[in-house]
Amino acid sequence: MSAARHSASETVLEAQGVTMIFGGLTALNNVSISLGEGRIVGLIGPNGAGKTTLFNCLTGLYTPTRGAVRLRGKQLPSDPAKVTSAGIARTFQNIRLFPNMTVLENVLVGRHIRMKQGPIASVFHGPGFRRGEAAARAKSIELLEFVGLNKLDHEVARNLPYGDQRRLEIARALATEPEVLLLDEPTAGMNPQETEEARQLIFRIRDTGVSVVVIEHDTKFIFSLCDTVSVLVQGEVLVEGSPETVRDDPRVIEAYLGKPREEVAAEVAEAAAAIEHHREDS
Amino acid sequence: MSRLNGLVPAALARPFTAIGGVLFLIAAMLPWATFILNDGPYPEKSTLQFFDAPFELTGFRWHLLLFGVLAVIVTFAPVRGKERVLRSFGWGGLLIGVIGALFIAGKGGGIGAITAADGATALGSIVAIVGGALLVLGASANGLGDIPEWPTSLFGWTGMKQRLEAWVVLLIAFAGVLWLVAQTLTAGGIGGAAFPYAGPVFLAFLGFAGGLIGALHGVGVTRWVSQLSEKHRPFSIVVLLLCAFALPFPFTGAGSQYWMQVAATIGVYAATAIGLNIVVGLSGLLDLGYVAFMGIGAFVAANLSGVAASALGWNLPFPLAALIAAVVAGIFGAIVGSPTLRVRGDYLAIVTLAFGEIFSRAAQNNIGDLTGGASAMPGIPPVTMFGTAFNEPIKLFGAQLPSGVLYYFMIVLVVGLVMAVFANLKNSRMGRAWIAIREDEDAARAMGIRTGKAKILAFLVGATLAGLAGAIFVHKLGTASYDSFKFLESVTLLAAVILGGMGTIPGAVLGASLLFVLPEKLREFSDYRLFVFGLALVLIMRFRPQGLVPDRIRRAEFAGETAEGKSIEEIEEQAVLEQEQADREPEAPAAPKEGRP
Repeated sequence: MSAARHSASETVLEAQGVTMIFGGLTALNNVSISLGEGRIVGLIGPNGAGKTTLFNCLTGLYTPTRGAVRLRGKQLPSDPAKVTSAGIARTFQNIRLFPNMTVLENVLVGRHIRMKQGPIASVFHGPGFRRGEAAARAKSIELLEFVGLNKLDHEVARNLPYGDQRRLEIARALATEPEVLLLDEPTAGMNPQETEEARQLIFRIRDTGVSVVVIEHDTKFIFSLCDTVSVLVQGEVLVEGSPETVRDDPRVIEAYLGKPREEVAAEVAEAAAAIEHHREDS
Repeated sequence: MSRLNGLVPAALARPFTAIGGVLFLIAAMLPWATFILNDGPYPEKSTLQFFDAPFELTGFRWHLLLFGVLAVIVTFAPVRGKERVLRSFGWGGLLIGVIGALFIAGKGGGIGAITAADGATALGSIVAIVGGALLVLGASANGLGDIPEWPTSLFGWTGMKQRLEAWVVLLIAFAGVLWLVAQTLTAGGIGGAAFPYAGPVFLAFLGFAGGLIGALHGVGVTRWVSQLSEKHRPFSIVVLLLCAFALPFPFTGAGSQYWMQVAATIGVYAATAIGLNIVVGLSGLLDLGYVAFMGIGAFVAANLSGVAASALGWNLPFPLAALIAAVVAGIFGAIVGSPTLRVRGDYLAIVTLAFGEIFSRAAQNNIGDLTGGASAMPGIPPVTMFGTAFNEPIKLFGAQLPSGVLYYFMIVLVVGLVMAVFANLKNSRMGRAWIAIREDEDAARAMGIRTGKAKILAFLVGATLAGLAGAIFVHKLGTASYDSFKFLESVTLLAAVILGGMGTIPGAVLGASLLFVLPEKLREFSDYRLFVFGLALVLIMRFRPQGLVPDRIRRAEFAGETAEGKSIEEIEEQAVLEQEQADREPEAPAAPKEGRP
């Protein structure tokens, strides 16, 4: 891990007191997180804790009921397209590629906001248009190589194996040239080898200067990846800190990883005794 | 139809296809009807020259004979991809037989007409059907092989020689396309009183054309030619345009006033269908009122043509009027498209449906004195440019061309222009944004695409193209009536796009041609015309849901059969199993890729 891990860095993305209420359900309650430049922040928590809801608030898909989301001190608009232009890109928990487009076209869609050709230029395909198009293609191929999808440019996205689809989604998000990359369960459904590759990829992304927020269930993965980890439980931040602090916090172990080992052992013993008792009766 | 695969034991494949081919030969020689067709006012037609003329090889008999001979040769010759070729011949001949049988039995009062009655026997259609079935079954016995790949140069040439070879191949191929187009257009003749067999002759010809194209596709010729034309794009475009311009000349047989009119009408609808393809095919926005934009273009052009029925009374030169018509239609397109910001999917379809209805009702009631109302706006003058009225016959390269040919030429140019606009937009930042919206609107927004603006733009471009087509349409027709722009036309255009293949240019052109020619050709089925038409649509959608000329990507989506003869479902199932296995064995390497060609 990088030496800069514990040194102070400028805050890039900041959520302050974000509260999200759907009807009578409070999905997020006064959640604050902050992301330092060039850092990797992890978000863990049980199912339904509000992790993805927080992502949706950060990317403008939802407008928080209360609270504010700022990118480099500027309030973000509540429109996903504008948030992406401002410099936040994301991937989705259930992969959402453009399934019937080719791999290269998927990444080119990511280049959309960094290209300037209007409808008129698109009709006439003049020299300026062709230059821009060639540059976008070159950049996209470079990104595909960066995530390790060489030579698959003209494959249709839906035909890719699962792990490659996740990678393609990351390449597509990087094509928007984000300052902050939000990854929603990037290793779901991956085998250990692929998970390790994903970890290395996220480090490489961080090394290019992009700050990363990761949602994951795999705690081993999160603790070995992130600079700081926030634990969300029932829409609130339970604990926040370095992986070591979070890992050893008894509240986290109880709320997220289950009850402490001694308690579980006691329960098992109790249950065993009850079964024994039952047998003796019959 | 993988269900047919292996229905017949592999050992019987060859006998089946050989016998099927021979049966085609026999069917071509046998009489087809036991009675005299169409007696009465057309004595010279009642000599059974069409359906009962043994050894007189014309029309469908000639086609069956050709299929039969080729099927026998292909059965015993070492031809790669022969299964597909034989199957295509089988389906083609089967279709010819079924159409003949249905028509004769229908006219002649039942089964007796195509078997034995009044001491005469006529088993031609039955033999053809049996032959076709044998061919299809025999060809499917071993499953269908891959479509063979052809080398870029057949002789291993490179450089200049290779280019020359490709040009010759492309010239031959496009000449073949021109021949097929001319044949299809004129197959069965004008129909009606002049030739009462037009409908079945045309349908039987479609069977022949389909079988022929299927066979060429099966041996890999069509794919090879399309790769060559992709490689030599400018050359192909020039040759294709030349071919289109060659259609009215006498040697094609399509150079009469009637056929030029039909071709020009097809062209107008083809241009409109390509415009609709931007909205529906690329952006995935269902538009049920699209023909209204064509109508707006038509009425604007009509009002600017100096026609007496117009309240405006302006008379502008046609190019200017057409431009204004296109712009006005485009503005309306943007207005109708604006609800797309709020409504999606089915709801949008209803909004467009309502707009189409509003337009046609408003035009019917002559709102603003601009549409002529129920009595329409007659007497719209023909387009006149360079001192020539477009409805006059002209002399070109020593050939006398029929009247209406200038409209045809203009429409060829407009269709070419619309194609270029479509192709360029599709391969641009805008086109990719549209396709992304069609694929997943939320993900598209997350990529920074302003989906609202993009969708309105799609409506605007589509409506502009329709408006332009409408302006030509109304001058060609000479009358602007609300009746030409009703809901049914919108539905037919939509069907043309879906039938031809969503998101492709040849698809839209082919779909428009079929949908606007078929009703014309099926006239003498009178009462059953729309029934037959609808049935044909249902059958095509059942057996070829991806459309006649699918997008390369949709082809993958709908590919029911693969090289190994597995359906997509089977492959996906296998992939899931492999994935699960990989999950169970954590140390195993990544799950193998899906083996899709």
